Amino acid sequence: MSRLTFTLLSEPPERLDLSPLVPARLASMAMHEVEKIRLGVSKHSLAVGDVFRLSGADVSAIVFEGGSRRFDCAGALLDSGTIRIAGDVGAQTGRRMSGGSILVEGSAGPHAGSGMSGGRLEILGDAGDFTGGPLAGELAGMSGGTLIVRGRAGDRAGDRMRRGLLAVLGGCGDYAASRMIAGTLAIVGGSGRMPGYLMRRGSILVDRMPQMLSPSFVESGAWDSVFASLADRHLIAEGIAQEPLLGRTVRRYCGDNAVLGKGEILVAAQGS
Amino acid sequence: MLTKIAGGEIIDPVGGRHGVGDLWIEDGVIVDPPAGRNAETTVDASGCIVMAGAIDIHSHIGGGNVNTARLLLPEHHSAHLPRPSETPLSNLGWTAFQTGRLYAQMGFTTVVEPAMAPGNALHTHLELADIPIIDKATLAVLGNDDFLLSLIRDNASSSMIEDYVAWTVASSRALGAKVINAGGSAAFKENVRRFSLDDIVPSYGVSSRKIVKTLQMAVQNLGIPHPLHVHCNNLGMPGSVDTAAATIAAAEGVPLHLAHLQFYGYGTEGKRRFSSAASQLAEQVNATPEITIDVGQVMFGQTVTISSDVLRQFSARGNAHPKKSVIFDGDGNGGGIVPYRYRKDFYGSLQWAIGLELFLLITDPWRVFFTTDHPNGAPFTAYPALFELLMSKEARREMAEGLSASALALTTLLAIDREYTLEEIAVMTRAAPARLLGLKDRGNLAAGAIADVAVYRKGKDIAKMFGSAAFVFKDGELVVKDGEVVAHRWGRALRLAPQPDKTMVRRLEAYHQERYGLSLDWFDFPDWAIAREQPFSEVACAA
Repeated sequence: MSRLTFTLLSEPPERLDLSPLVPARLASMAMHEVEKIRLGVSKHSLAVGDVFRLSGADVSAIVFEGGSRRFDCAGALLDSGTIRIAGDVGAQTGRRMSGGSILVEGSAGPHAGSGMSGGRLEILGDAGDFTGGPLAGELAGMSGGTLIVRGRAGDRAGDRMRRGLLAVLGGCGDYAASRMIAGTLAIVGGSGRMPGYLMRRGSILVDRMPQMLSPSFVESGAWDSVFASLADRHLIAEGIAQEPLLGRTVRRYCGDNAVLGKGEILVAAQGS
Repeated sequence: MLTKIAGGEIIDPVGGRHGVGDLWIEDGVIVDPPAGRNAETTVDASGCIVMAGAIDIHSHIGGGNVNTARLLLPEHHSAHLPRPSETPLSNLGWTAFQTGRLYAQMGFTTVVEPAMAPGNALHTHLELADIPIIDKATLAVLGNDDFLLSLIRDNASSSMIEDYVAWTVASSRALGAKVINAGGSAAFKENVRRFSLDDIVPSYGVSSRKIVKTLQMAVQNLGIPHPLHVHCNNLGMPGSVDTAAATIAAAEGVPLHLAHLQFYGYGTEGKRRFSSAASQLAEQVNATPEITIDVGQVMFGQTVTISSDVLRQFSARGNAHPKKSVIFDGDGNGGGIVPYRYRKDFYGSLQWAIGLELFLLITDPWRVFFTTDHPNGAPFTAYPALFELLMSKEARREMAEGLSASALALTTLLAIDREYTLEEIAVMTRAAPARLLGLKDRGNLAAGAIADVAVYRKGKDIAKMFGSAAFVFKDGELVVKDGEVVAHRWGRALRLAPQPDKTMVRRLEAYHQERYGLSLDWFDFPDWAIAREQPFSEVACAA
């Protein structure tokens, strides 16, 4: 069976909520029913058939040919199967996904991978602010799985992260891993100001000194741990990085001492 | 315009009407059947029951704490976007505007916000003014404020205290006065964490009992129709029944209203030291005619507790669900916002059963009032389901099947056969609240009453019947038809206007200048600040 493919007809005239287009919700539907699913969020109430041309039948592998900054919530609540989007997406891609994989070939808006708990979300372009972070009022952001941003991530990537791996390969904005509860954020390409702002536990791995380190972090002295080489090996084995991020010598800063202070920022020494 | 509501079963306990007949409305009031004139509009109410618009005496619908709850729980807002039923917290968190619509759809036409901090009066009234259709009223919170406690400590005369209460009620545009954990919040500021009726507030040397008695007499002597509205000490604690019993006994023949009594129906029996004391409490209420109570029924699900009882909320913050809360140790009462989920476990089941026991064991529907203490026991949208539980023992048994059997074994609920009649519902939710609040113009269907009328289509499904009224009239205007809002209008806030004494105003001016460096004008406002044509409607004090 060929993959279920949604080919974008033209730039949609309103924001779309793509959360219904995941394998679990499409599994028992006939094609003509799928075409009637409402995606629009304004009074125009666009349906699938108004925006996409459909082909293929295998709902476990969904492809969007063409993307748009107006595609919100693509792959939300995904629990199995794959979704590939050949283009950009809007906000909350992979929101609360728990399994399966999503590949975004363009760039993503804010809250990509928000609250995800499992699976793999990879963004080849840039990601907006609050990558992996919670929506307003929620207590935890990303709580599992792997989130990879090949381009640059905006501010507050990994906000309130609790578990899992978030890797950013084109650099981060300010306040990366702000309010982090636990988990791992790996950054290649440097980070903006004050990474780990109010982090409680967790690890931030970064290939060079951040633009500004919060004064409530302190250097922990000479550090000897196998964690750095394990992390490097894992990133390479997973196909996330090509070469070691931290290398042999690592400087370690502990914090944020304004809160619990059990977190750490690991900086590759050669880059500092 | 002359309107006839034709052929409905009219239930008006005040006017003694119960039977099929017509109801006539003209110019916003109910009129006697006009001889020789035809109605311009006729509403067919055959197969329906016709009651006065319902009155909710205790529902937190506006003011500082309600807004703080909105700030604390922004995820409630997104829960009201297009897919409400699929999201958590979908049963609460609506806007002020929606509050009015939801109440009207259930046939409620007057709602009292029972905990307005006097300093928040302007904001509260601005927010209430944004609630459409229904009329509103507020109770001003006193009893933890420095000015009053200082007066009591200094043995001020009763007339001086009355002047202060009169000024507070008048300037905050309230319909009455409430005391919340009298002295408890003031003691909390001095690190007291348990506080009962005979405990003394540090620095003031005044007991909680003294504060309650002082305010009770002031309200009585001022002729404020609604008796002092008391939120007792020790809310929600095992053994709180003793506090409630002592407070009831302290009424001493003078009217007193106890709020959300369910939260005080807790004994200390059983292996969890948490049991029902509802039958004991109900017996005492039955034997004490000067006492009125509202229940504060618990219904299951997610809600948020909003209270100016900062001491209680502080101790409850560990049970928050989701795990976050706001405790505000502010001027006077302060307050606390603690989200909470009532589960069908031992504790939740017991609380649910205790509320129903109180409803069913207190025999006089004129003295027990229908509330969930919205949103503390449940959001007011749970009312239709609660009506069903009161009117059908079968519904209670069905519900009880899914609950903790060991909890229900500690209650008398399943042995109670009483079912509320429609007449009793009309008393409890219409006639009695109007009398309790001193609202002579509503709560009945006699000629001259304002035409707040709720028409429900009779059916087997009681929750559906009360959840979506067939027709609702507010001041004679049809506002709800078949459960849908068809017209929006702005209600008024009902208020008292006792004349404040000039000497007291001068003294308060000096006090506010000295303590806050602020003019007393900051604590009062002109009516036109509420940008509505007629924001207030004055209710008379007794002579």
